[in-house]
Amino acid sequence: MIDVAAIKAHAKALLEKGTVRAVIGYRNSTAGLLAEPFVFTGPESVDDLIYGPSCVQNLALYLVNDKKERAHHKSDDARPVAVVAKGCDARAITVLLQEKHFLREAIHVIGVSCEGTGVVDTKKLARKLGGKHAVEIDFDGGEAFAVTTADGVQSLPAAEIMAERCLECRGAHPQLADIAFGEAKTDRALHTPFQAVKHKMKEEQDNRWSFWARQFDRCLRCYACRSVCPMCYCEECVVDSIQFAVLPDTTAEEKANRIKWIERSPNRSESAMYHMVRAIHLAGRCIDCAECERVCPVNIPLRLLNTRLEMEAFETFDYNPGSDMNAPTLTSSFKDTDPNSFIR
Amino acid sequence: MANVQETAKDEPGFEPKIVAFLCKWCSSAGSDLAGVSRLQYPSNAVPITIMCSGSMSPMFVLSAFNKGADGVLVSGCHPGDCHYLKGNFYARRKIYLVQKLLQFIGLENDRFRMSWVSAAEGVKFAGVVDEFVKDVKKLGPQTRLKAKR
Repeated sequence: MIDVAAIKAHAKALLEKGTVRAVIGYRNSTAGLLAEPFVFTGPESVDDLIYGPSCVQNLALYLVNDKKERAHHKSDDARPVAVVAKGCDARAITVLLQEKHFLREAIHVIGVSCEGTGVVDTKKLARKLGGKHAVEIDFDGGEAFAVTTADGVQSLPAAEIMAERCLECRGAHPQLADIAFGEAKTDRALHTPFQAVKHKMKEEQDNRWSFWARQFDRCLRCYACRSVCPMCYCEECVVDSIQFAVLPDTTAEEKANRIKWIERSPNRSESAMYHMVRAIHLAGRCIDCAECERVCPVNIPLRLLNTRLEMEAFETFDYNPGSDMNAPTLTSSFKDTDPNSFIR
Repeated sequence: MANVQETAKDEPGFEPKIVAFLCKWCSSAGSDLAGVSRLQYPSNAVPITIMCSGSMSPMFVLSAFNKGADGVLVSGCHPGDCHYLKGNFYARRKIYLVQKLLQFIGLENDRFRMSWVSAAEGVKFAGVVDEFVKDVKKLGPQTRLKAKR
């Protein structure tokens, strides 16, 4: 069991001593079951810090946002920022460190092991409860969640209401951590990694296209997937012409000559292009936090799309994103043994 | 080119439009050699010279399909022969990933191809294009990723 009081005490000590600027963690939200990410800046506010199966968000995103905000406010506080990190969050932070997005000294990672479980999937939970409204969820031993509804508390097996990605997780214990809570369990009852992708790949190509065409038709281009992704930190997005920075000295000619790779209109071909560009940009960087899929308002299976290349990275190139912050990235390295037979 | 899209599948009148990204140092010279040697090969490939196959961005491939290409060919120097020493090794990895993604989405396998053509291989270049055009002709016009404008 994870000792939330110990995490709290550690975070409090950090803030009291003033060794960190802030602690990024979770607290209970006022809207719904899921916890909300929160930046704790004072030792007294840390009392609200929680950790449980409702802490689904990837906090690496808030490190990226923090960097943007600091640049905006020209902050000169050089102290590091602490962050509560699950296995997947720690992997995301490792990828960001690998890309030199920030320095290792600038972050204090409070690692939290998911142990035998993971985080909850609210859709699965709603289906399981059959209409009853869950108000609280917590760990119940190593393999179950205690769900509180209006009828009282019931214990549900974690494997039935856990997020898909947690079932396929290959590293539930944070590898990158200044201090780690919870025990590193390796004998988790796992699904085979990439099983959804492998299942999809068995389908006929034409059926696959009609499946994806249906998904891309529904895309609203709200860019929620991009906003929630810790890896999508570009100031200017290559597929979104509105994101191009317009400064006082940007001339009309410069604006006109910017390459518009795709249109912003949400139709099939443009949305297909958008999602494929994102998938390509995430190749070897996606750490499978599945936040894109969770936030999608029209339920496009983005995790399926993004893990396709992750599978290729892992199985063909023996590359595991977020495992080593000093290793070269997937597309900035090569091996003599890379596949060559597909080339004529 | 408007009538190209209207022609039905397998119709003899369909002439596919193929965008060929050729590296400056090998494949471009190879295509030049094919021309200088007066080899007969289909004129469907539109060559675009890039500095190195390693500078090939996946955006180029996707954009070509978006703008109506029926096939995309990327061609560079043989492994070990890169003018920039290792550009084609990076390209190999990148293009492999793009190809896998396009196949996963459901684009026909034969629409995207990569080849190694050296400056001395005019005959090989003609052969690659000839084969590619034949394969794409069988598939008909590319409609899946083409923008409807």
